[in-house]
Amino acid sequence: MTAAGQGRIYDALVVGAGTAGLVAALRLAQDGADVLVAAKGVGATHLTGGTVDVLGYAPERIASPAAALPGFIRDHPEHPYARVGAEAVGKALGWFKAQFPDGALVGSLEANLLLPTAVGVPKPSTLAPETMAGGDLRNGGRFTIVGLTALKDFYPAYLADNLSRARLGQGDDGRVEARAVTLTPPTGGEADVTPMGWARRFEDAEFRKAVISGLEPSLDGGAVGFPAVLGLDSAPTVWRELNDTLGVPVFEIPTLPPSVPGNRMARSLRTALTRAGGRVVMGGRVVGVRATGRRLEAVVVDAAARPKPYRARDFVLATGGFASRGLEMDSYGLVRETAFDLPVTGMPPETEARWADEYLAAHPAARVGIGVDDELRPLDQGHEPVYDNVRVAGAALAGAEPWREKSGEGISLATGFRAAELIVELRGG
Amino acid sequence: MVEADVLVIGGGATGAGVARDAAMRGFRTVLVDRNDLAMGTTGRFHGLLHSGGRYAVKDPPSAAECMEENRVLRRIAADTIEDTGGLFVSTPWDDPAYSDLFHSGCIEAGIPVEALSTSEILRREPRLNPRISGGFAVPDGAIDAWKTVWGCALSAKEHGATILNYHRITSIHRSNGVVTGATAVNEVSKEEVPISAGFVVNASGVWAGEVAELAGCRGVTVLPGKGIMIAMSHRLVHTVVNRCKKPADGDILVPIRTVSVIGTTDTEADSPDDVGIPQDEIQLLLEEGEKLVPGFRRARALRVWAGSRPLVKDDKASDADTREMSRAFALIDHKERDGVEHFLTITGGKFTTFRKMAEFTVDRMCAHLGTARPCTTAEEALPDSGHHRFYWLGARLARREETLNDDQLICECELISRRRLESAMEQRHTQNLDDIRRTLRLAMGPCQGGFCIYRATGILHSVERLDYGEANSALLRFLQERWKGVRPILYGDQLRQARLDDWIFQGLLDVEHLT
Repeated sequence: MTAAGQGRIYDALVVGAGTAGLVAALRLAQDGADVLVAAKGVGATHLTGGTVDVLGYAPERIASPAAALPGFIRDHPEHPYARVGAEAVGKALGWFKAQFPDGALVGSLEANLLLPTAVGVPKPSTLAPETMAGGDLRNGGRFTIVGLTALKDFYPAYLADNLSRARLGQGDDGRVEARAVTLTPPTGGEADVTPMGWARRFEDAEFRKAVISGLEPSLDGGAVGFPAVLGLDSAPTVWRELNDTLGVPVFEIPTLPPSVPGNRMARSLRTALTRAGGRVVMGGRVVGVRATGRRLEAVVVDAAARPKPYRARDFVLATGGFASRGLEMDSYGLVRETAFDLPVTGMPPETEARWADEYLAAHPAARVGIGVDDELRPLDQGHEPVYDNVRVAGAALAGAEPWREKSGEGISLATGFRAAELIVELRGG
Repeated sequence: MVEADVLVIGGGATGAGVARDAAMRGFRTVLVDRNDLAMGTTGRFHGLLHSGGRYAVKDPPSAAECMEENRVLRRIAADTIEDTGGLFVSTPWDDPAYSDLFHSGCIEAGIPVEALSTSEILRREPRLNPRISGGFAVPDGAIDAWKTVWGCALSAKEHGATILNYHRITSIHRSNGVVTGATAVNEVSKEEVPISAGFVVNASGVWAGEVAELAGCRGVTVLPGKGIMIAMSHRLVHTVVNRCKKPADGDILVPIRTVSVIGTTDTEADSPDDVGIPQDEIQLLLEEGEKLVPGFRRARALRVWAGSRPLVKDDKASDADTREMSRAFALIDHKERDGVEHFLTITGGKFTTFRKMAEFTVDRMCAHLGTARPCTTAEEALPDSGHHRFYWLGARLARREETLNDDQLICECELISRRRLESAMEQRHTQNLDDIRRTLRLAMGPCQGGFCIYRATGILHSVERLDYGEANSALLRFLQERWKGVRPILYGDQLRQARLDDWIFQGLLDVEHLT
C-alpha cells in the first residue's frame, strides 16, 4: 500500500455502486482489503423494492429456491447462477443476512415468501425486511390495505381487489381477504407528496399519532398493509411503534421507484462499507483502461477536473445492464459494454427476433451481457479470459432475465459476493 | 333503432368533418367508427399543418388549397394548432435547382414565402446541419389530429349529431337502388344497432373499398400507401423543417407537443390493416434525420408507427367527379358510378384539407337531396378554440404551476394532473387507457407510461368503478399496445428506459401474474 495519489495501488477497485458492487466491496473490505468503489451514479438498488428476490419463477412459481436451484442451473447453463453454483448463492445469502441486525431481514433460501406487490400480486421473495414480512400471503389471512390521499403511487382499492383473488397455487390453501382504507393525514396542504416525503413525515411522532387515530376505527383484527414509506433511517422503530400501538401486524408494500425500502437498502450497504474501511467516489465515468496483456493495470475515470487513473491489483466490474447503462445498444443494434469495452454475448443475429411480439414474453435480447467463466472473468469470442484480474458481477452478466425470473437481487448478491470471495482467496484470505 | 338523415361511416378527419358539416347544416347526423375516433390514418400521421409548400412545385392547385385551408383551420381550430412556422432547407444532398422552383411555386400558389440566409436559419434552428445552404420560411404548423377530430365530433354533437365510436358497420341497407341505412355492431357490448338514414357517406379512407362493397358497389380500389413515422423525444427543432427538394422519404421533421416526428416512407401495403414496421425503413428515416440534424441517431427515439394514405385507383369513377377540385382527393358518386342512390364515398386527401373535402361532400349530398343549405364550417370555431389562441408548448406547464400544491401530477412527461385525468375518464367513460392516451397524450412522453400507467389504472379502477379483471385488462392491454410502438426502435436511451419500465412492471409490480 502506498500513500494517496497517482502512485496508490488499491487491492481492489470496484466499478459500480449498485447491489453487486457494494456487496463485492463490502466483502473485500471486511477481509482487510484496500477497496475503492468508483461509480457514475448511485446504483440501481434504489429501484428495488428492498427485498432480495433469488428465484421466483422458472417459469412456474418457485416455492423453494434451495430446492429449485440445482435443476434451474442444469436447465440454464448460461445463467449467472450456473457460473457461481447453487452453494455460493446460499453462502452469499447467509453472509448478507448477517450484515444486518438480527431479525432485520426475514426469510431463507429454503422457502420464498409471497409478498403483495402494489397491484396486489403475490410475488415470491427470498429475503425481505422485517417491515415487509407481515405481508406474507402463504397462509392467507385478513388484510387492510391503507392508502394515503396525497400519495399517487399507491392504489389500495385496486390492490385489495386483486389481493382478494390472488391465486396462491398448490399447498397454499389459505384464503386472502383484503379491503382498502384511505387516510388523509395532514400534509401541510400538499396534494402530491413523494414517497420520500412521506417517509420523512412518518419519522415524526406527531404525524404518526394522526395516522394511528385515523386508522383505529377501521381496524378489524387483520394485518395492516401500508405503502413502503414508513420512515427512512428509523424505519424499524417506526414500524415497531405502529405494530405495538395498533395491536395488529403491520407491513409495508413496495411501490414505484424511487423506492423508500430500496433507498434504505442502498444506505445500509454504503454505511456498512464505510464502516469496514471501503471508500466510494461518485460522479465519474470510466473513460478508458490501461492493461498489460491480460492484466488490467488501471481504470481511467473522468473526474471533475480531468481523467484520473485508478490503479489496482484486482477489479470488479458491476456497472449493470441496459437499465443502468452498463450496456448500451446503438441505433444499428450494436451492443457495447460501456466501461471496459468488454466483449458482449447473447445478441441474437439480425435475422432473428431480438424482442418478442408479446410484451410479457421472454425476450432474447434481454439476456445479452458479458459472458464469464466460473471465476467470473470476462470471456472473448474464443472463450478465453480477456483479463485475468477482472471479475464481472450483477446485471452486466449475460444469460438472465432477472425481472421475469424475479432473480435480480439474488444475481447481484451472489455474483458480487462470489467475485469478492475469488479475490479474497487469491489474497490468501 | 337510430334514425338519422345522414349516416357517416368513418371517424377520421374526413368523416368527423362531414358529420360536423352535415349537422351544422341541420341534418340529423350519426357518425360511426369501428374503433375510437381518429385511430386510422388520421391518428397515424406526423401532425403537419401544411402551408402547401410541399406541393408548390409538383401540384400547385393542391398547394393553394392547403394554404387556404391552413388559414381556415388557424381561424376555427386554434387550440389544436401550434404556430411553429415551417422551413424548407437545402442540404448538400438536395438539388440546388429546386430552390428557385420552390420559391416561384409558392408565390404562384399564394403561399407567403420568405427566403432566408443560412445564418438566419441556423439562428432560428441551431441544431440543423450547418452545411445547409439557405432556405425559405412558410406558414407550416403542427396540428393535433386527435384534438381536431374530437373537436369536430363534439361540435357535431352540439349541433345534434350522435357519435357512435366502437361501432362496426356490418351491412348497408338498400331498397330499390337507394341506400336506406345500415346495421352496426357495438364492438364493446356486441349489441346490434340498426341505423335508418336517408343518406350514407362512406368516409372510411383506406377502408373505403370494403365499406362501398357493403352497399353492393364493387371495385372501388383504394391502395394503402403505407408510411412510417418516428417520434423523437423532445423538440429537436421548434419549427417544422422540410428538405427543399422533391418530396421523398424522411424529408420532414415536425415538432409537435413534447416530441419531434420524422416522416415518412411510402410503400404499397397488402392490406389497410397492415401497420407493420420494416427495420430498413427505420434505418432510412434515421439516415435522413442525420442529414437534417447531425447526431439524430444518438437522439432518443420514443416510438414508431405506420399509417396508410388512401390512394384511389378507380377506373369506373368518371373524371367529372374529381376535376372540380384538385386531384388530391376523390369523391365517388355511386349514383353515377353504380346506379346506387344516396350514397357517396369520399376518400384520399390530406389532413389539412379535411374541412374542404367535407364541404365538397355535403354540397354534393345537398344537390342529391335537392336542398340548398350553405356550409358554415369555415366560420364557426371548434369547441375550445373560441378564444382563437394557438396552443403553445408551455400551456400545460403554465396550468400545472397554477395548481402546483393542490393537484397531483400523474403523468410527469406530459404534465397531466389528476383532476384533468379524472375528468377525461369521466367524459370518455371508457375502460380503455389507450383512449385516454389519445385524449390527453397520457404516456406519450419519454417514459412511455412507465410511471403513469400504474397510477392511471388505479385511478380508472375507482373513477369507472371497475372490477379487478377489468382494471387488470386495461393495464395489460395498454402495456401491449405501447410495446408495439417501442419494440421496433429499442436502442440507446429508450432501451434503457424500456428496461426501467420492465423493472417497474415485472420486477416490482409483477403484472405478468395478474389474473
